[in-house]
Amino acid sequence: MNITLTIDGKKCTGTAGQTILEIAHANGIAIPTLCYMKNLSPWGGCRMCIVEIGGSPKAVPSCATPATDGSTVVTNNDRLTHLRKLTLELLFSERNHVCPICPMNKGDCDLQQQGYKFGIDAIRYPYLYPTFPVDLSGKFLGIDHNRCILCTRCVRTCDEVEGVHTLDIGNRGVKNQIVVDLNTTFAKSTTCTNCGACVSACPTGALFDKNAAFHGPLTKCRQVRTTCTECAVGCGLVVYTKENRIVDVFGDNDSPVNHGHLCARGRYETWAVQRDRITQPLVRKNGKLVPVSWDEALQTIRGETGKLSPQTKGLLVSGKVTNEVAGAIGKLKSRVGHIGMYVADHEASFCGEPAFASDAFQRINDSDAIILLGAEPSRLQGVVAARIRTAVRKRGAKLIILNARTSDLDAYADVVASVVGVERAFWNRVGATLKGTKRPVLLYGPNAMSPVGITAMEKLIQLFENGSGPAVIGLPTTTNALALSGAGVEAVDDVSQWLTGGALRAVYIVATDETDGGAKVLRDREVVGLLKGFNYVVVQAAYNSRLTELAHVVLPALVWSEKRGTITNFEGRELPVSPVLEPHGEARDDKAILESVFA
Amino acid sequence: MSDKPKVKVATVWLGGCAGCHMSFLDLDERLIDLFKLIELTSSPISDLKEIPVVDVGIVEGAVCNEENEHVLRTLRKQCKVLVSLGDCAMTGNVPALRNQKTLDETLVRGYIETESTHAGEVPNENVPVLCKKVRPIQEFVKVDASIPGCPPDADAIWYALTELLAGRKPVWNPTNVRYD
Repeated sequence: MNITLTIDGKKCTGTAGQTILEIAHANGIAIPTLCYMKNLSPWGGCRMCIVEIGGSPKAVPSCATPATDGSTVVTNNDRLTHLRKLTLELLFSERNHVCPICPMNKGDCDLQQQGYKFGIDAIRYPYLYPTFPVDLSGKFLGIDHNRCILCTRCVRTCDEVEGVHTLDIGNRGVKNQIVVDLNTTFAKSTTCTNCGACVSACPTGALFDKNAAFHGPLTKCRQVRTTCTECAVGCGLVVYTKENRIVDVFGDNDSPVNHGHLCARGRYETWAVQRDRITQPLVRKNGKLVPVSWDEALQTIRGETGKLSPQTKGLLVSGKVTNEVAGAIGKLKSRVGHIGMYVADHEASFCGEPAFASDAFQRINDSDAIILLGAEPSRLQGVVAARIRTAVRKRGAKLIILNARTSDLDAYADVVASVVGVERAFWNRVGATLKGTKRPVLLYGPNAMSPVGITAMEKLIQLFENGSGPAVIGLPTTTNALALSGAGVEAVDDVSQWLTGGALRAVYIVATDETDGGAKVLRDREVVGLLKGFNYVVVQAAYNSRLTELAHVVLPALVWSEKRGTITNFEGRELPVSPVLEPHGEARDDKAILESVFA
Repeated sequence: MSDKPKVKVATVWLGGCAGCHMSFLDLDERLIDLFKLIELTSSPISDLKEIPVVDVGIVEGAVCNEENEHVLRTLRKQCKVLVSLGDCAMTGNVPALRNQKTLDETLVRGYIETESTHAGEVPNENVPVLCKKVRPIQEFVKVDASIPGCPPDADAIWYALTELLAGRKPVWNPTNVRYD
């Protein structure tokens, strides 16, 4: 139902149930806020967004007050300005807001900006100068309670977006403070996922990214939008850079995939964890890898492998490379006899017939039952795990987890089984849990392709035989495996078998920026011995690893923040990967390297 | 040049780093224009140390010890308009960080435990007694105007002083104010 109200003399329309603030913002009327955050439940705690409603002497928080049809609202007058100033002065007096020593100084702090806006100078209240602790024990983030205004944006984000509810408010009165779990530290927290959403939500410097603190204001950084390539979800990123280095990484609020939310891998691990980067081409001389020029490295490869027939050459690529690299690989088929893609366990059969699950997130959001089969979103696709948690905790969706490994999601599940058999009692229980559900979703990962997984899949299908089946969503482990498989790069089930299968004598491995430097290839123990037996092993990688140590030639590849191209996420969306930084050292693009090696 | 008598100004330096006075000197050539209108009497940057009767008193720094409080109250008596210059006078700022610790902890940390100190001791003669808590000046005396900033930049000081000389209270907004 549409409603119409007058805000500051302007006729504004909205829908019944919308708050005054939502309708005002939608109609271009700015109301100052601090505790309000779009997409979180309203809190009404800071009192900055107060407005007057005709006929009522009270100033009400517009963020928490539903608009009523025909009402008259005033958002700005001398009284409201006076009250807002008092609010700000109380906030400033309550804790130790020392701007010059705060990492959010110079533009990144909403409280400071509001202070400027309202021209706050000397305040009329005595400062309380309380003693509050600082917790720097978190892996990537810290909290300084001295700068907290108790807006609870972090608490609500943690609860409503990440769904773990690690943060809450403890104590009473002026001793109120944000607490981690049952008043422990970030390091000791058993629920915190390090997703960093609380830091993104914090309007002051209370929560901050340790690796970004004091690296300069974000408002002065260059901002580049790109796509996270760590998993197949393909979250949108906003990367803040300064002097060709990353200052911080946040989720892109405009991304149709993650809507601003990220997991620890995308938010921090790609830049805040030190990794051993390869900066120059290396060639093995007298048993040792030594830095050489690109020309020398390419000549060495051509000299050693040029005379080999295509049938003796193999190219093994990471499932993390871009679609553009797949295009380049397609052109090599006449020169390289064996081309394969290495993926996670059981993922090869998962890639057999690439099936993208369009609107997967929408289906998870709308679902009333979620079955996880051989998938581990908590560990591998944190943003999907967050959606599952909120679906269960906020909307009462049923959750059934059939997976060998335990995860934090087990705590929210109705049925958890690490070993699945054919016992009738168990499947009756699963059936009873799913009974009456209207919009079930089945999320399956590569492990669903194991013999046990297939048994479970068959049992599940039987359960749904009489009604409509669940929406089926495949959740690959490897970033671009589905698209690469679709582009004709065949996923390799067993790397040692693949290496011994042909008449291979030289193998070229593209590990690109796999964080383990491609060491995953060595998962089967025989692979190390097999590679040692080859005449020639070339590894194209961004990071040093056990694999690069085995190579005759190592070629430095770009990392996610330097690449340009596209990846296709598990929903089938083709997403742009844009360079954020200049290439490091002499590293080059995967596609360009392949083209010059096989020129 | 007008025949109007010059506005007499005194400045004091309480618990602060002197950065605000440095920033005042950053007015550079504008100082020449300013000194056509004002007369700087006692100040940390002039030779006169006893505060005479003045029109405007300017305070840098927070109240950290008994001497600070005495100087502040004296200036308030001697001036018509009192202006706080910078965040320390206005909020306590960095000197007030010690308010989270006891006075003993602060003294031990400052005089004995500092990494560069050998056989240090807490001074207790010929030094003013420290206050238990560092406080901004408006908690002691009436303040007529404030210039935020750590330190306020020369433009902010220029704006505030010219407004005051024109008989107006400076009004801050996002274009002319900073807290850092």
